[in-house]
Amino acid sequence: MTRVGIVGIGHGRFGRRSDATVQELAFEAFRDALADAAIDRQEIDAAVIAAVPEYHKQRSLTGVIMEYLGLNPRSAWLTEDACASGSAAVRTAWMAIRSGLHDVVAVIGAQKMTELSTPEILALMGRVGEVQWESIFGTTFPGYYAMLARRHMHDYGTTKEQLAAVAVKNHYYGARNKNAMFQKEITIQKALSSPPVASPFQVFDCCANADGAAVVIMASEERARKISDKTIWLDGLGSATTSMSLLRRPTLVSLPSAVEAARQAYKMAGVGPDDIKVADVHDCFTIAEILAYEDLGFCEHGQGGKFIEERQSYIGGKHPVNVDGGLKAKGHPIGTTGVSMTTEIVKQLRGQAGERQVEGADVGLTHNVGGNGQYCFVHVFKKE
Amino acid sequence: MDLKLKGKVALVTGGSRGIGAAIALELGRQGAKVAITCSSRVETAQKIAAQIEQAGSRAMVVQADVADFKKTQEVVAAVAKELGGLHALICNAGVTWDGVIWKMSEEQWDKVINTNLKGYFNYNRAAAGIFKDAKYGKIVNIASINGLRGKFAQVNYSASKGGIIAMSKALAKELGKFNVNVNVVAPGMVMTEMAAKIPEEFLNKAINETVLGRVAEPGDVADVVAFLCSDRSRHVTGEVIKVDGGQYI
Amino acid sequence: MFSWFGKVNFTPHTKVGRFADYLKDGHLMGSKCNSCGHTDFPPRADCPECLSGEFEYSEWSGRGKLMTYTRIDAAPTGFQDMGPYLIGLVELEEGGRLVAWFGQSIPESEIELDMDLQVVPRVFDEIEEIKVYYTLEKPGTTWKKAPA
Repeated sequence: MTRVGIVGIGHGRFGRRSDATVQELAFEAFRDALADAAIDRQEIDAAVIAAVPEYHKQRSLTGVIMEYLGLNPRSAWLTEDACASGSAAVRTAWMAIRSGLHDVVAVIGAQKMTELSTPEILALMGRVGEVQWESIFGTTFPGYYAMLARRHMHDYGTTKEQLAAVAVKNHYYGARNKNAMFQKEITIQKALSSPPVASPFQVFDCCANADGAAVVIMASEERARKISDKTIWLDGLGSATTSMSLLRRPTLVSLPSAVEAARQAYKMAGVGPDDIKVADVHDCFTIAEILAYEDLGFCEHGQGGKFIEERQSYIGGKHPVNVDGGLKAKGHPIGTTGVSMTTEIVKQLRGQAGERQVEGADVGLTHNVGGNGQYCFVHVFKKE
Repeated sequence: MDLKLKGKVALVTGGSRGIGAAIALELGRQGAKVAITCSSRVETAQKIAAQIEQAGSRAMVVQADVADFKKTQEVVAAVAKELGGLHALICNAGVTWDGVIWKMSEEQWDKVINTNLKGYFNYNRAAAGIFKDAKYGKIVNIASINGLRGKFAQVNYSASKGGIIAMSKALAKELGKFNVNVNVVAPGMVMTEMAAKIPEEFLNKAINETVLGRVAEPGDVADVVAFLCSDRSRHVTGEVIKVDGGQYI
Repeated sequence: MFSWFGKVNFTPHTKVGRFADYLKDGHLMGSKCNSCGHTDFPPRADCPECLSGEFEYSEWSGRGKLMTYTRIDAAPTGFQDMGPYLIGLVELEEGGRLVAWFGQSIPESEIELDMDLQVVPRVFDEIEEIKVYYTLEKPGTTWKKAPA
């Protein structure tokens, strides 16, 4: 069975990028990925774009990105699943390569979140949930996860301090990631005294909108072995959905889409949670990382708060998680995030993460969630 | 038509004589429980109440000055409590005090505005709260064709009746979504005790204005009011129905 | 008509538009499949069990339990004039769930997860257009009130 691997990675600076258009951001990461893979643009024979279009002035982003990157006349299309678009695009590229239709595919995550005016952005934020029965009451993205957090706190005794501890960890590592939007560490006190957003969440429980791009170049096993001697293999893929609206969600203290996606990915890769040495999970809100520990099997259900309290997700703990800063410190350019996570795990498994390196990391995982939990993609990567 | 008013509760202001008495009697004959307010002629009002009770329905009399805001809120609450709810409010109490403007005193203006316009506000406000909660109500405010047109020597009266019309339309918009109808009946000349005192030449002038060649009986107005208090007129709201024999077309 | 429903309505065109008409008259309606009898709240025209598109409206009591809630401090466009507001997720006695604002009868300090609630149909009083919604109130709260 031929494998599919990542042969090149590129990542731009995340943040408020008022200096560039979305295609200019894509070019930065694309240039770096080509250099990293040491290949010519000619070797690429298709592209999958990961972006959430409604935040941009440009309609149909694939066209403008392909033109600017000089990738015409190759086949290209957009893959979108809200904040899970990045991993959805990686999965799509994997399928395109395994089908035999393409050999080398560039996955280009590019997203601007700051092009629209504040009222336009605020209006979009009110339509994250199910607009027919929920958004009419003014629900918001933080509001949904806040409701999950409150149930988790009620059922398992998870505390606000434990939520804040997630933010503290991710800002610690973000300060050591030159591409992250936020470069300063924070304390629990700072997190707990920040303004309220949607109870029990305060500002530091929530990720920030950001602009940014990241690129991975994927190849069939045959081509990968010719291109690179540090190919990282994408061996386990899992993907699942759950209800979009909380009205029909089977449980409020876990993401069923993540549990199922993880099960599929572990099975396909022939590994279990204990084999995962490093992971990037979807911490759009602090509770989301705690749920991820539980849904991925890093700890028992309900014990996620204890897990972070015991620093088990720091380097040196049982399962280092988000040691690139996570969405919390990097910022969250929603279409790009899954691709960003992929570049980090590839770096870790290659041993190129510098002061954030997890020693001996040979199996890694990305966990990328879309919207308020309705989409999840879990990918397991191996060094060899 | 059967107006199905049996058991409904109606409050009629100024119901001791004239149009008000005719309205109270008609609603009572239809089976409604009727409360009558009056400012001074309590005995006369009680005679009307007695007639209603003889016809087989309940009636009560309350003495109150329509212009007294606090008192009127209490009256409405008391009537609702005593008669078991409130389904229809008919504001009818009104006075005239004619005169050309350059001779009109401040008191002449204030008296007519306070009785005719503020008095209606006071009662409409009290009933609106009840009707809004109960999700049902009928308000009929008696105005005049002289609120639709101007009348010589009646700047105060025309102002008050015109004000009632505009107020009723605004009120219809506020209460519609709670299943409450608000309408105006605008009579022309009506043969009442008050009208009998008018010099004959003015009476004839009015008759000649009509196309039907006659002026109204109080019952003519009461019939339209009863229809507006019933569910047969459920889709009529914010409307002004003239009962003027064609005096002002 | 469904455009009446909610402070800001995003889906005026739906097969279950009459939900809002019923709500205006004080009734909370779910759906019942004419083919297999499956009931659902919120109402839906298309049965998830047997796929039939034939349904009728069926009345829910409005009684339910609070599953979770939040206070929204940072409001989206169209809701910013409301100040912070409380949103609850309720599991209904006859099945299904809804989200709604808490009403006047329950102050924030009295909110507890799993508490019993009554969903009460409401109309926005002080605007001219007809706009309907529902609130979460203490059990026993009714839509109509008789005069004292």
